[in-house]
This record gives sequence, structure tokens and C-alpha cells, in this order.
Amino acid sequence: MAMTPVTEEQLIATYGPNLNRTPPGGWDAGIEIDKVVDTHCCFCGQQCGIKLKVSGNKVVGFEPRYDFPFNEGKLCPKGVKRYLQGSHPDRLTEPLARDESAVGGFRKINWETALDRTASEIKRIQAEHGADSFAVLSGVSLTNEKSYLMGKFARVAVGTANLDYNGRLCMVSAGAAGKKALGVDRAANPWSDIPLTDVVFVAGANIAECAPITTSYIWRARDNGAKLIYMDPRVTPAARTADVFLGVRPGTDLAVLSAMFNLIIERDWLDHDFIDNHTNGFEEAAAAVSGATLDWAARVSGVPASRIEEAAEIWGTSATGMLLHARGIEHHTKGVDNVLACINLGLATGKYGKPGSGVSTITGQGNGQGGREHGHKCDQLPGNRNIENPDDRAFIADVWGIEESQLPGKGLTAQEIMNEIHAGRIKGLLSICFNPLVSLPDANFTREALGKLDYYVNIDFFLSETAQHADVVLPGSLHEEDEGTVTTLEGRVVKINAAVSPPGNARRDWEIICDIADRLGAKQYFDYETTEDIFNELRRASRGGTADYYGITWDRVVKEQGVFWPAPEIGHPGTPRLYEGGKFFHPDGRAKFIPTPWRESAEVPDSDYPLYLTTGRVVSQYLSGTQTRRIGALVDQYPEPLCEMHPLLATNLGVTDGDIVRITSRRGTMVAPAKVVETIRPDTVFIPYHWPSDKSANLLTQRAIDPISGIPEYKVSAVKVAKGTGRRDLLDDRDLTLQGDQ
Amino acid sequence: MIQSGYDPATAVFAIDQSRCIGCRACVAACAECDTHRGVSLIQLDTIDRAISTQTVPLVCMHCEDPTCAEVCPADAIKQNESGVVQSSLKPRCIGCSNCVYACPFGIPKYVASFDQMMKCDMCYDRTSEGLKPMCASVCPSEALWYGSDEEFSAKRTGTLVRNWQFGRQTVRTKVAAVVSEPGPVMITIGEKPTQWQDDPFGLGR
Amino acid sequence: MGDKGQGDQLPLGSWVLRARVLSMGIASTPSRVDRRGVVVGSILVVLVLIGVYIGSSGLQWFDPALAPYLFGTVLAVFATAYRYIVWLRRPPTAMLNSRGWEAMRAKGRRGSNAVGLVGKLVNNILLQRFIAGRSKVRWVAHQLLFWGCVLAALVTFPLTFGWLHFESADESGRLYEAFLGPFATIQFDSRGFFGFMVFHLLNIAAFLVIAGVAIFLIRRMRDRGAIALERASDFAPLVGLFAVSITGLMLTASSLWMGGQFYAFITNLHALTVILGLLYIPFGKLFHIFQRPANIGVSFYKEAAEATGEQTCIQCGEGFASVLQMEDLKAVLPAVGFDYSFESGEHYQDVCPKCRRRVVGLAQVARVGGFG
Repeated sequence: MAMTPVTEEQLIATYGPNLNRTPPGGWDAGIEIDKVVDTHCCFCGQQCGIKLKVSGNKVVGFEPRYDFPFNEGKLCPKGVKRYLQGSHPDRLTEPLARDESAVGGFRKINWETALDRTASEIKRIQAEHGADSFAVLSGVSLTNEKSYLMGKFARVAVGTANLDYNGRLCMVSAGAAGKKALGVDRAANPWSDIPLTDVVFVAGANIAECAPITTSYIWRARDNGAKLIYMDPRVTPAARTADVFLGVRPGTDLAVLSAMFNLIIERDWLDHDFIDNHTNGFEEAAAAVSGATLDWAARVSGVPASRIEEAAEIWGTSATGMLLHARGIEHHTKGVDNVLACINLGLATGKYGKPGSGVSTITGQGNGQGGREHGHKCDQLPGNRNIENPDDRAFIADVWGIEESQLPGKGLTAQEIMNEIHAGRIKGLLSICFNPLVSLPDANFTREALGKLDYYVNIDFFLSETAQHADVVLPGSLHEEDEGTVTTLEGRVVKINAAVSPPGNARRDWEIICDIADRLGAKQYFDYETTEDIFNELRRASRGGTADYYGITWDRVVKEQGVFWPAPEIGHPGTPRLYEGGKFFHPDGRAKFIPTPWRESAEVPDSDYPLYLTTGRVVSQYLSGTQTRRIGALVDQYPEPLCEMHPLLATNLGVTDGDIVRITSRRGTMVAPAKVVETIRPDTVFIPYHWPSDKSANLLTQRAIDPISGIPEYKVSAVKVAKGTGRRDLLDDRDLTLQGDQ
Repeated sequence: MIQSGYDPATAVFAIDQSRCIGCRACVAACAECDTHRGVSLIQLDTIDRAISTQTVPLVCMHCEDPTCAEVCPADAIKQNESGVVQSSLKPRCIGCSNCVYACPFGIPKYVASFDQMMKCDMCYDRTSEGLKPMCASVCPSEALWYGSDEEFSAKRTGTLVRNWQFGRQTVRTKVAAVVSEPGPVMITIGEKPTQWQDDPFGLGR
Repeated sequence: MGDKGQGDQLPLGSWVLRARVLSMGIASTPSRVDRRGVVVGSILVVLVLIGVYIGSSGLQWFDPALAPYLFGTVLAVFATAYRYIVWLRRPPTAMLNSRGWEAMRAKGRRGSNAVGLVGKLVNNILLQRFIAGRSKVRWVAHQLLFWGCVLAALVTFPLTFGWLHFESADESGRLYEAFLGPFATIQFDSRGFFGFMVFHLLNIAAFLVIAGVAIFLIRRMRDRGAIALERASDFAPLVGLFAVSITGLMLTASSLWMGGQFYAFITNLHALTVILGLLYIPFGKLFHIFQRPANIGVSFYKEAAEATGEQTCIQCGEGFASVLQMEDLKAVLPAVGFDYSFESGEHYQDVCPKCRRRVVGLAQVARVGGFG
């Protein structure tokens, strides 16, 4: 296998992305609706309830699902238009094999051939280069059932340690920190706690665009008199009304958090009872921030000392407080430390285990929460078990009916797997639900790596940019084509219901995986009749782990509009709020303060590359855009990446709004129109990352990862920006509203 | 938790611009209502993106005495018994755009391909059956809100104001604005937007 | 105009009581008779009667059996003219009416306007292309109805008025001659294709209309949007057109296949539906037949207004409408009871719609503790 079989233009001509739109004038309000299916949106970890309207095995529209308590009918534009991903002209409906001579670079093959070839290639590569030379990459848009299955498949059927997932690019810093400090990896509270709090501290989360429904919870808190503190290098839409805005320089959140912690100690806003009775390690953590003065933090972070002081006072003196953080502080080589610093603020002021108090991550991906608990994470076994703990290994080996010795050990993380592919040590790859060419940092490197694979099989519903490099592509199932469960950012397990069946010869993901397992000689371990069988096995496998689903059944999930884990026994009511009574998940029941000494980001601006680049999302696109770049209205809303910059910077560069600028880092270069706004730091540019090839912000980002979580440092790169040639008339509301959906 | 069964004559439609996050869910959902058929009729504008992320969502305010209807030469704009000012009647609208230019809130849209004015009719297919309109159903920030008076009192703070003063002209609307204190909303010309965040990055400017 | 009183809290219940029909012309001033409307209506009625008298050579060719139809026509003419005049008197309509004619007859543009008029008549009135933009099916249905009705009118009115009659021109009775008033025109074989077409013109029209009605009805039954908005008044014209067409077809069926059974009864029934239909025109949805052509005036107006330059927004400085239309609007607004002027002398209507939305937003935000 080498590079893509044909040119990018030819691939796009055959496989898209094409835009699916509501037809102009042809929108038929008379179409017969066969059924309306209660399910959830596939985009983002909030998993808003939605009803899908089905006509003739096609999803033709949506209806708000008012009865689902989390969102009560609310949806962001992605949710509203999600129905257009079904019946899409780009939908893969046949297995494909790479063929340079075929139109579009792939020819149709039958399932037998595709599966046989995949199994024999896996066997061949492993026989020649060792079991771990074949890697599996998975994704957390998959349900709990499929996530669990992928973990079992890689370890039992393929027998490789090198299994990881795209949650590695998302929530792993929060997960690792939670487990270290609190003994568990889950949001501390249900979102219904947010309106009860005295202060909402949002650290590195563009809530308005990445978790839009959460906005309503924060506004309700504001209605009830809560203060709002926001820490971000940009005044994002929900940040604009903050009481205290901390306009932090990328990569220096830790300085602000440390100074806040230090000030809280100095002014004795501590909750001594809570520290004494429910925590360990306060002294060491306090010592680590003793040098973090306000002046120092202001110098490092660019945030005025008075504001850090104000934020610390509000947080320190409020009886209750919720700290919500997301990728803004997690996508760093010190992502885990950033989260630990947040947790320290929570522990020091006793903001845990009571209504309106807690420190939580806003999980980003559809099943970011559930997916990371149940097994396609390289270091984890179902139930949030540790793959290096002998007891955990023995328990899972027993559930799976294998010898403990058959169970591979800890494998490489997603970025490390790509590094090893590039180095030629990993030769084969099976991937599902993951588009690393768009989503991993340093896209040029990823492209080179994909070109070195001996055999690459990809399971997907659209031909993603990564799938274009595959030898064999297997058409899997869309979210609405299979059932299962997903665990939301609150830790609530919810039910996804199938609205339609896979079109053409496309098949359900789990059936494909079971068939490959069968051909790898592991049939007896993958003998499932229904999706629910997989869930029931997952329940047993999670029993006794921290993420204990044993008491959660599909019936209950439907009946109770979701159940919060842990629910260790049948009939257990579930656990919406963790740590009640100050009980944490370490064996001694106490939380741990963990020292977070200051350190710099892997790359900081210098005279050659004088500016910060930070990347993120826009509200109308989701992750690598495989789905959302195919939906007309969503593309219209934000058609291409823009380079946001402050007018001070723009003036220095001689750039005005709409001018094309060239952004260069040590990894690569890209061009984009400038968006000149006062809502970003003057030393920083922002580019959203949803696009491929020459529009990919990840051409610029670096592969440096957090030593503990393995998350890449997307949020800090050093770049230089210069005026390019030409300009673009940027979309104005006037165009957009008239465009509507026509 | 009431989620349907609202009487369109008495239900509250409230707009609070300060909550809006500009996500355009309302714009996307507006097109999905059966009376709008793929044409989005809600208005959503940025005040001045160069300065602020602030956005303004506006549905038709459904004036008690609709200027649009009074300036329509073709009698094409009707108000129904619930006080909802409907989109132009297809057979009548002659596409002159008088309503577009007269509406004090800037709501009606002239759709050139249909040679017809269209505007928000509060999703009449939904509200007439007691459901919430699309925009207020999906709005993630509750900047657009629909429900009963009791629900508003129970769930929200602020005062609902339905009186607007445009120079010498008082306009009373069915749709309400959420403000802190009672008293009509005074419209002034020449206001420039400002960052509510005073110097967010400490530039000393 | 309704009351424009102050007060913040609008009593919600008042909306229920305010089942108003706005500016419905006749409906909004039910007690006063519009004198000009009566005069114009009467003149038109007289003209029709004179036309009938002269066209039928002093009633020589007037068929007394068709007298009820003439009666219906006369009533419809009067009521339609009356309503039209009342409609034209509304300030915005009057403004547009005079502007439209002015624009069309503007010196130096007459030649190009005459050419333009042909195009507009064909596209807007005959082909109704704007409907195709909304929906192709809808367009087909409307074209069927339109041409069916036009065809029927072209046959019915001349027959009713005695302007057109047929005489047998040979012994066999097969050859027919068509007369326009006293003037003989063409002769044709009544059993030939042409003859068949001539005698079945109304049946053909009926089929066109029924097809159109069927499409509209199906749409009204299944389209959830239409169902939500529809009123009995949306069905009335469809039902009426269907009744006229089907009773007409029944007449043919009776004479061709039923040996004239029930012929007299069906004749009366048909006459009743036609007369009711004619009387419905000025009061119901079908009045758009007379309103919609104003669109032609609008397009001339828009073209002429463009030449007056662009009105720029006093808030953002961008152009948003023609100077002429904004001036006209500012003249019309006081006439319908609005005053959007400011103390400062500025006029709110000089703010573009986009900036109106912005200032409305800013004004509200200023009242929410400064958030925004």
C-alpha cells in the first residue's frame, strides 16, 4: 500500500464530501412518517435526546424530544441537521478494495473476499513481524457495546497490545487526573447541579460552540445569582458575559490555577475540615504552588493580577462552586497537571460531594465517557480496570473465558501507534470510527505514516480522508442504524435506538467485527445474537470495577431516561452525584492532592515563530468533519477554516478582515482567510481543525504528548503569520439567512 | 414539566438577547417546520463581530397593530385569532417589499425565487397544536423561550416587556423581551456596540 | 388603527378577544358605503348591459335561458368593481397604483416598458413562473386551473352575452356556422374534429379544472403545513370550481348517454353553481385574480425606483432600498396611523432592516444589566 490510489480530486469526485441539503422548493411537508424513533444525537458527549422521523427506511427529519431531561428538546445546529447524514449520496454501501485503475480508486468486492483477505493479512503480518505489529485504532462515536467489543476483539481475536482510540485526542487528560486524584474518571455531578451553584468557573471550554446545551444550565445558574468566571485565550460567545474573564496566554492556565490555589492558602479560604477528613497530600501540593505569586502568574499568563485575585476570592469564598473544564486545559503536554490543579482548587475549598459543587470535565465525543471505560483504551480493561493490575486481568480473562496469560499488556497510545507505523515497526492497521489524517497533529507526518502500512483495513460509513489510504474499506453502520447504549458527559447511560437498517450491503459494525474474529479463529468468544447480548457481557465485565454497570439494564435505561453509573447491583438507583459525604474512590476513601509544579509547553513562540497558535472547534462542525462536512446547512454556516486574530496583530501584519494569510509552523504551512476580531489575545491566532488536506490546522500542530495521558498538545504551537495573496469576502449574516437551507 | 398543550393565544414567547450564543440552531430548525418548508425565516445577526461575539436572534414580534400589514398594498398579511401575524398569503402577495422596509424589527424577508414575502408565523403548524415553535424548542441557551406564564415565573428571572418605543411610535407586541425592570424598551439610533468585557486581555486600551 | 396606549404588561387574554381581520377593505368598514365604488360598479354594469345589447344585435341573439347567468355576471361585476375601488383607496395601494402607472408611462421609457410589459404578462400572468419557484406540482395545478377557467370564460361569457351563436348552414344539419354578433365567421363540420373540439370546449375546460382541483386538494389533505394553516375559505374556491365543472360535465353526460334524463334539473344545478361562483369572486380567495396583476405595476415601480438611487442606512451607511420606495413608505405610514420619527428629526425608517434588528438587540441588552 502506498499513498492514495488516485488523486484527491478523483476521490472527492466519487466519494465526496458532497453536500446533502433540504431540496429547494421540494421540501415535502406531506411525506408519510412511518415512525418516530426516540434516540440521541450522534454529535458530542452531551448526547441530547432527539426524535428521528422515519419514512421507508430513511431518516427524513427530526422532532424535538421534550421528555428527555438533559436537554428537554434543545439541540444545536448539528443536532437539527443530523438527519441529513442518512440517505446521503456519499454513503458507502459495498465493501471496497483499493484499485488504481478503478474510477475513484476503489472497486467493489464482496464481503467474503473482503473479510477473508483481512483475516489472512492480519495473520500474515503477525506471523512475520510479531503479534503487536498489527494495530487497532477505534473511536468513541461508537456505542458502549461496540467499544467493549473492539477492546475484546483486539486483545482476544487479534491478540495485539497495540489498541487505542481517538478519545486519546480528547478526554484522556481529565480521565488520568481523575483517577490519580479521586480514584475514578467521571463528572462529579449531574448537570442539574449547575443551576444550584454559587460560582461557575469555566476553564478552557468553549461551551457555546462545543457543548451548546450546557449554556442553558450556566444561564440558569446566573439567573439564580451565580458568578461566572471564564478562562480562555478568546472571549467565546458564552464568555462574553463573565463576571471575571481570565484571557490567558495559551499553555499558561497552570500558572493562573496555581496562583489561585496559592492565594486561597494565603488568605485561608480553605475548607480545613474537608482537607483533614477527606484528603491526603495537601502539604506537598501547597508547597508546589508556594512560589506562584499573583505577579508571577500575571507575567506568565498575561492575565492582570487583579483578575486572578478576584477569581480566587470568588472561588475561595463561595460556599458552593462548579469548575467545568474541557480541551482548552487538557490538550497540553501538561494536560493532566492542569486538570489536577483544578481538582486541587476543588479539594482545597471542599467543593465536592454536595449539591452545586464539583470539578468536572465536559466530555467532547459522542461516547467519550462510556467509550473510555470499557476497553479500547490501550491501558484499560472494561469497568475502568487497569490492564497492568493482575487482579483486574484475571477477572476479565475469566469473563472472556481465556487464560490471563493470553491477555496482551499495555499497548501504545494513538499518537505513539502512528509514530511506530511511521517508523515501520507497526505494519498493519484496522481502524474504525477514527479519521487520524484530519484529527492527529502534524498531518504531513500522519500522511507519510499511512503510506507505509503493509495492510490497512478501514471500517466506516463514508470514505473518510484516512480511509482513502486503505487497502480494503468495509461499509459499517451509522449511529441510527444500530442500537446500543452511550454514556453521556454526566455519566448517564442512555439508549440509542435503531431508526433504520444499514442500506445496501452495509452492515452493523459489531457483526463485521464478529465475522473477522470468526476468521481469526476466535468464534467462540464472539458468539452474540443481539447487541443486547454484548451489553449484558459488558455488565458482567464491569462488575466490581469503578465504572460498574452491573445494575444497569437496557430496560432500566429506557424506563428511567438513563441511569448514572456506578450501579453495582440490580435495583441500585444509580449515582448521579459522586463523592457524597466526601467519599472518594481510592481504597482509603480519601482524595489525593497531587503537586503540580509549573512547566512550560513543549513549544513556545520565539523570534522565528513569534505567535501562539491554538486550535479548536466551531459549533456547526464535529471533530474531523467526516459527517458534518457532508451536510449543506452546516457547511454553509462555517464553510472553511478562518484564522482569527486581534486587530493589533492584523495591523502589524498589514492584514484586514478577509485577507488570505499564510500560517507557518516548524511542521508545515497553510493558508486561510483572516478573521480580525477583538475577542482573541493579540499574541495568539486561532484556527478550527475540522478540515482535511491543505485546510487542515493539524498541518501546523505538533506531536508532543502529555507523558501521562498521551494527549497531543493541540492548544499550543509556535507559528509565524504573513499576509498571503488574495482575499475572501467572508460570509455575512445577510447571505446566511437568505441562503437558509435553499 | 409541561412540554405541550400550550394555548397559542396565551403562551409566552420571550426573547433574551443577552443569553444568545449565536449557534444558529434556531436558524437551522426554523427551516424544519412544516409551514416553512426548508426556508428559514428567523433572523439572527451579529452586532459587530469585529468587536464582540454578541448576536441578536429575532422572530416576528407579532405586533398588536402590525405595521407590515398596514403598509401592505395587497392585504396579504393577516393576523389570526391568537394574535399571530402570519406570513403573506401566497395568492395575494405582489412582492413589493413594503413590509420588509416598514417593519420596525426588520423581520420580513422577500424571497426572490418565490417573488413573495415570507416571515415567521410562530410555526403555526406546531403552536396551533399546542407545541412549541421550532426555534424556541431547540434554542440551547433559552434566549428564545416559549411556555406558559407560570412556567416563566417558575423557571426564569426578569420582567417580560411587550412595549417598544421607536421615536414617537409605540409598538405593542405579542412576543416579549426579557429585561430587568418594567418599562418600555426605548429604541435609539446611533448606538454603537461595545465589548461587555472591559478590556478582556488587559491591554490597557 | 387599534389603540396605541402605554403600559408594559399586555393582558394576554386580550389576544383572544382580538379576533380581528386587518385591513380587509370592505370588512374593516362595514357600515360606510364607498360612493366611488358604487359609481364605478354601476358604470361597469351599464357598460356590460350596453355591450350585451349591441353585441347581440338588439337582444336578437340573446338566449333568455342564459339570463340567470347574465344576472350573476352583472352582480359579480358590480361587487368586484366595488371591492377593487375600495382596495385601491387604501393608502399603500393607492400609492403603489399611481406609482405603477407613472412608472409604466414614464416618458422615454414607454418603448422599453411596452416590450417589458409583454414579457411580464407572459411570465407573471400567463405562465406564472413565480409559482414554479415554490413548487413544481403547485405550478402545474395552478396552470391547469388557470387555463381551464380562461377557456371556460372565453366560451361562456360570449355565449351568455349573445355575442356568439351557432347556426346550422346546410340541409343535413352537419355543417355549422359560428356568428360573432351579426357577423358570420367560420363554417365547420359539427361531426368533424374541429366541431367536436368546439362543442366540447367547456368539457375540456372542466377536465383541466378538475385535474387542478384534485392536485390542490390532495396537497391540502397531506401537506402538514397547509393543513395547519388552512381555513374553510381555502376549500371554498376549490369546492366551487369542482361543482361548476362536474355539473357542466353532467349536462354533457345527460345529453350524450342518458337521453336527456335529469337535463333540466342539472341545468338548474349548474346555473346555480356558476352564479354562486361568480358571486364568490369579489368576496373570497379568488379576488387575487384581480389583485395579483398589480405585481406588474410593482415590477415597473421597482425598475423606476432603482433609478432614484439607493437609500443609505443612517446607522451603517450601506444602501438597502430605493430612495423612491422609502420616501413613498414614509408618506404612507402616517396615512395608516404610524409615526416613526424621532425628536432629533431622524426617521427610524432610514435605518436598514439589519440595523433595526441590531438596535432592537442593543436596546434590550441595555436593559438586562448590561449583559451582551
